[in-house]
Amino acid sequence: MDTLTYSKINQDVLRTLDPPDRTYVRLVAVLFAGIVMGALCWAYQIRTGMGVAGIKHPVAWGVYLVSFVFWVGIAHSGTLISAILYLFRASWRTSIARSAEAMTVFAVATAGLFPLIHLGRVWIVYWILPYPNQRNLWPNFQSPLVFDVIAISTYLTVSFLFWYTGLLPDLAVVRDNSKGIRRRIYGILSLGWTGTHIRWRHHGTAYLFFAALATPLVVSVHSVVSWDFALGIVPGWHSTIFAPYFVAGAIHSGLAMVITLLIPLRHIYRFEHIITMRILENLAKTIILTGLIVAYAYGVEFFIAWYGGNIVERDTFIWRAVGYYAPEFWMMIVFNTIVPLAFLFKKYRTSLTSLFVICILVNIGMWCERYVIILSSVAHEFDPYSWGIYRPTWVELGIVTGSFCLFFFLFMLFVKFLPSVSITEVKEALPPPTRQYEEHPRCSD
Amino acid sequence: MGLAGTTTALGCSPESSRTLFPFVSAPEDIVPGKASWYATTCRECPAGCGLLAKNRDGRIIKVEGNPLHPVNAGKLCARGQASLHGLYNPDRFPGPRIRNTGGRFEAVSWEKAEEILADKIREVSRKGRQARIAFLTGLTTGAMNDLVNLWLAEMGQPQGHIIYEPFSYEGLRKANQVVFGIDGIPSYRIDLCDFLVSFNAGFLETWLSNVEYARQFASFRALAEDGKNPFVFVGPRLSMTAANADLWIPVAPGDEYLVALGMLRVILDDNLPSSLGRNERAELQSRLRRWHLDEISRKSGVDQGLIRSVAHRFAAAEKPLALAHGLPVAGPRAFETALASNILCGIQSGTGAAIDFSSPSSYGNAGKAEDLKALCRTMREGGLDLLLIHDANPVFSLPASWEVRKCIESVPMVVSFSSTMDETSTLAHLVLPAHTPLESWGDYSPRRGITGLMQPAMGAVFNTRHPGDVLISSGKKLKGEARFPWKDFYELLRISFAANLRKSVEETEASWQEALRNGGVWGAPRADTHRLSPQISKIDFPHPDNGDISDPGLLLTAYPTVQFFDGRGADRPWLQELPDPVTQVTWGGWVEIHPDTASELRIRKGDLLHVTSRYGSIDAPALPVPSVPAGTLAVPIGQGHTSFGRFADGLPANPLDLFPPDVDSHSGGLAHPTLRVTIEKKDLNLLIANTDGSFYQHGRELIQTLSVADFRQALSSGLRPNIDVPLPEGFDPEKDFYPPHEHKDYRWCMVVDLDRCIGCGACVVACYAENNVAVVGKEQVIRGREMSWLRVQRYFQEDAPAAAWLPMLCQHCECAPCESVCPVYAPHHSKEGLNNQVYNRCFGTRFCSQNDPYKVRRFNWFTFTRPAPLDMQLNPDVLVRQKGVMEKCSFCVQRIIEAKIDARNKGRKVRDGDFTTACAQTCPADVFTFGNLLDPESRVSRLVGDPRAYQVLGHLNTKPAVIYLKRATPEPMTV
Repeated sequence: MDTLTYSKINQDVLRTLDPPDRTYVRLVAVLFAGIVMGALCWAYQIRTGMGVAGIKHPVAWGVYLVSFVFWVGIAHSGTLISAILYLFRASWRTSIARSAEAMTVFAVATAGLFPLIHLGRVWIVYWILPYPNQRNLWPNFQSPLVFDVIAISTYLTVSFLFWYTGLLPDLAVVRDNSKGIRRRIYGILSLGWTGTHIRWRHHGTAYLFFAALATPLVVSVHSVVSWDFALGIVPGWHSTIFAPYFVAGAIHSGLAMVITLLIPLRHIYRFEHIITMRILENLAKTIILTGLIVAYAYGVEFFIAWYGGNIVERDTFIWRAVGYYAPEFWMMIVFNTIVPLAFLFKKYRTSLTSLFVICILVNIGMWCERYVIILSSVAHEFDPYSWGIYRPTWVELGIVTGSFCLFFFLFMLFVKFLPSVSITEVKEALPPPTRQYEEHPRCSD
Repeated sequence: MGLAGTTTALGCSPESSRTLFPFVSAPEDIVPGKASWYATTCRECPAGCGLLAKNRDGRIIKVEGNPLHPVNAGKLCARGQASLHGLYNPDRFPGPRIRNTGGRFEAVSWEKAEEILADKIREVSRKGRQARIAFLTGLTTGAMNDLVNLWLAEMGQPQGHIIYEPFSYEGLRKANQVVFGIDGIPSYRIDLCDFLVSFNAGFLETWLSNVEYARQFASFRALAEDGKNPFVFVGPRLSMTAANADLWIPVAPGDEYLVALGMLRVILDDNLPSSLGRNERAELQSRLRRWHLDEISRKSGVDQGLIRSVAHRFAAAEKPLALAHGLPVAGPRAFETALASNILCGIQSGTGAAIDFSSPSSYGNAGKAEDLKALCRTMREGGLDLLLIHDANPVFSLPASWEVRKCIESVPMVVSFSSTMDETSTLAHLVLPAHTPLESWGDYSPRRGITGLMQPAMGAVFNTRHPGDVLISSGKKLKGEARFPWKDFYELLRISFAANLRKSVEETEASWQEALRNGGVWGAPRADTHRLSPQISKIDFPHPDNGDISDPGLLLTAYPTVQFFDGRGADRPWLQELPDPVTQVTWGGWVEIHPDTASELRIRKGDLLHVTSRYGSIDAPALPVPSVPAGTLAVPIGQGHTSFGRFADGLPANPLDLFPPDVDSHSGGLAHPTLRVTIEKKDLNLLIANTDGSFYQHGRELIQTLSVADFRQALSSGLRPNIDVPLPEGFDPEKDFYPPHEHKDYRWCMVVDLDRCIGCGACVVACYAENNVAVVGKEQVIRGREMSWLRVQRYFQEDAPAAAWLPMLCQHCECAPCESVCPVYAPHHSKEGLNNQVYNRCFGTRFCSQNDPYKVRRFNWFTFTRPAPLDMQLNPDVLVRQKGVMEKCSFCVQRIIEAKIDARNKGRKVRDGDFTTACAQTCPADVFTFGNLLDPESRVSRLVGDPRAYQVLGHLNTKPAVIYLKRATPEPMTV
């Protein structure tokens, strides 16, 4: 970072906000088209009925909830990187915290759509909220789905506020470097940030508090999501390890997604000196750890299925490995636990290609994990008469594709309209400017 | 009763539901919201069960068995209940039709249509060709039969009435004539015998009178301390009836004959006790001299020891009964098998109690296949000018090789009275659509001594007329008022009723009203016992021609099913959606093939097979299933329709297409040689809409069994069953986190006796009818979206050729896993222990279904609708569910509420037996008992203490309120 200066950082980051080139516009247009396609699929589903999806008796939850869990999982490492590593003073996080945090917000927002998409009668979804009503009807607080609503909405709120708090000084930088309507908009967004000492003090405190608040949420949200399953009596779901298992899996997939996003970002915007190889390497090392935790969880599941002596549980797990969903199962095993071990070798941690490929594989593996857990358990449950196989239909695939488009669309807008690297935090890591830098232009702080 | 109301055609067109007009002067006997029940008679098959039709606001919404009726005693099979789908079938003729020169049917007025008929008859008689008229009807008796005969006589052809019943048991009738000297079919009393062997007689499915025999069978098999009466089934397929036996002896089609002879041989050789006199014995010995047990065993492939054991058990019984199917369609050597079986019935004098020839079945009146053959010949030779057809579909129900279609096509004028389009009616020149039986007056006598009356339980749905009315009016036109003095068929029926009592119409008004209320007239059942005296001297036991044994290929057996009978049920959506009891397939024909044979031939489920016999071929998908022995194929009868409406058409395949064009010279029935077929796999895989996820239980012990010895021991030791009752006392702080539910006055509970369940599916259809359960169609069943609240799960035994059924419905658990996971309390535990599903509250997370270990919840994947006028059947007491809502068994909560209101009006609580659920009401075997667990005197309270009681998946601690009683394991059939 020796070559970095405050002004260089400003320039580098603000450069990303320049009017987009044609490739960017095309890409955004394609993604938007994908969103529209997904929305149309959803509209068709609402109009016709859930039957247009492949879900059936007995597999009443399909790729919608797979995607829900997947996106909630993605959300996790954002907070891990921005909040937990912040609290642990892991300074290497600073340059990637912003985009990781943005990823969290967008992933949670995308995830939050899926329970709605999945509902049979989405037009009365508000009944799940504990609002006062004449009939004195309250939601059932025993239901894990009510936990979900509370956990996800809390998580979305906190991670959004945390993200926005971090953004404030940077928005002011953008404001100060722009003119006209743009200046007004960023002025409003930056909430009149002036950069006075007292503002900085409040900002620092708030940021620390939000970090402290977000940290337990990393654990709680995915624990709650895991209870959607673990509180059920379905063999293959009904397990006490589900909370830590899901949290580890979430972070595993989230880290992989961060790398997946950072590598193109870094390349496109020439952030190599900000998002350094050391940072990516550190992420890769963390992926080894989470991968091992996930591998342990898989092992424990099978051990308990055998050791517990419950034939239904045992059959469920045997069926996972050899039955209809075996391809997804083995993809999950290989991609999540074996492939990331390649990061033990420095060669693979430091090559952008291998980093990118392995992280994509982990993402696929983690999607498969949710697919296997959610589908294969109910497909092969207590009553053999009611066994059945689920396959997604084009409507479901359309909506899931639309959700990926939505996520990347939001991320694309983010990198174009907001500073995707935390200007202030990167500056904090630099030695403060001394007189030898007299020449450098005025900056906001 | 009911005259004014029934003739008021309420809601006769679907449009009337659009605008609601109140009555200016309300009909006297219709109270809005209150059902009227009309007693009538089921005409879905010749068994003639008594019906009660439930009329709500002018529409029949349900039919149930008539509890007073001697045939069915309040019970009704799936087919009987689906008669409503005959009534409301959207493919019925909306009015008279005439075929134009282009071959299309055009609407025509009734006046015009009747004039055309009259003109034709005038033309025929002008040409002096009166003898060239024929009237083909289904089995009719009483006034309608008399009218047809009279009408034909007046028109100049007194011999023209041909009664055609596809199943007319020619083999059995002929064998009865030979052995007992009576060409007819007796009434069997299975409940009076103490050992039963069936030679492929599917008496629980279609054989003669299936509801009656299912009732009798349930009482014959009732589990007592000393076990149950043994039942052996000999036949080519593990049919529903076979699966109810202690022992199924698989044989090649037609080889039941050999087993029956083998039993006779053993009885003679081992000198077993019998009531046969010395002369009879000697006579039998001489008749059987050419038959040896080792040869029988070798030819039939049945172990000698097994035949010997069965014969010993048979002869040791006091009243052993042997039933042979005697139905040429159902297997080769129907006559010979019935012959041997009849001799077996004569072995013990006690058996006479179970075979009652004094009230013979009306089946004896039906024509034989040879009569049809003769008719076909006449038609083909151009010997017929006018053919009238009522209630018969010979083009479908006779083998294609008979070329019935061609024969009928050569008749210049064909008049059909069919209410719906079918294969035969497509050939008609004039269609005069008849009322369905539920809209008609009439009488039908299933056997001597019982006359069921039919009365219209609602106004006509379409512009149809009673065929009797049409005959009378055309008779008036042609032969004058004097020859046909009756105003309409009702008057004729009324007069004939009076005439039967040898009184005038006025004198019989009270008895007529009473008969209408009761559903008919019948005397007390016969109490005395006749000794059957087989006339052995007249018998010859032919050595059967085993077909061409060198002929390669697989054996084929065609069988009638409990859903479709001869195929007439195939246009009823309920019956199509009802899983076949053994294969659990809905919507469509199939070829059953043993899984081993299938894998040998590399045939997978759904592979389209081209099955070819010497006489024809069919295409149907393969269904590997262990219900047939290796090397045998089985195809159900009843599918393969081509012009029978939207629900029946296009489903494969009619096995009769494989039959020869001949009649059997012995019995006059269809010729049925041993059918050897070749199969050719076509390059097409059809999806089969089966509802079972697996053949087996995979060690889950959902159906639990106990041996009779254990049962006896448990009874004597006073052992209480290990169940968690769905009451506060079923809770234990050790294993229950939440406190118990409190109940107010009632805790509804159901006991399901698995030892009685025969698997027929009547309960399933009752549930569909009562609760507006949607029919989803083949495509959605394939996708696992069937909506049945109650299903009769079939499990094969992994280690033996046997199957058993488990009726599965919402268990109304005390600790319901579905309740706790719903975020909006849509599944809600009521004060009476019901697990209520509040449809309006449900928004469709489907978590309840995911967490339901019994998988009995059904989700509305679409807003399922019914084509008009099928929607007229909907029960107004039950909500119709929209898309996105979960639904499931409600324990017929609407019936509970009705009973509670009724009891409150009487100033008391609901008592045990005041009402029951729809499934329990109709079950011919009384599997279900419903009641209040808080009432210590109720039947359910007593049954819950039965040593056989258990809860399915009880280890999950859901505390189900559906308590099952274990099946008794069959005792080995040893000497």
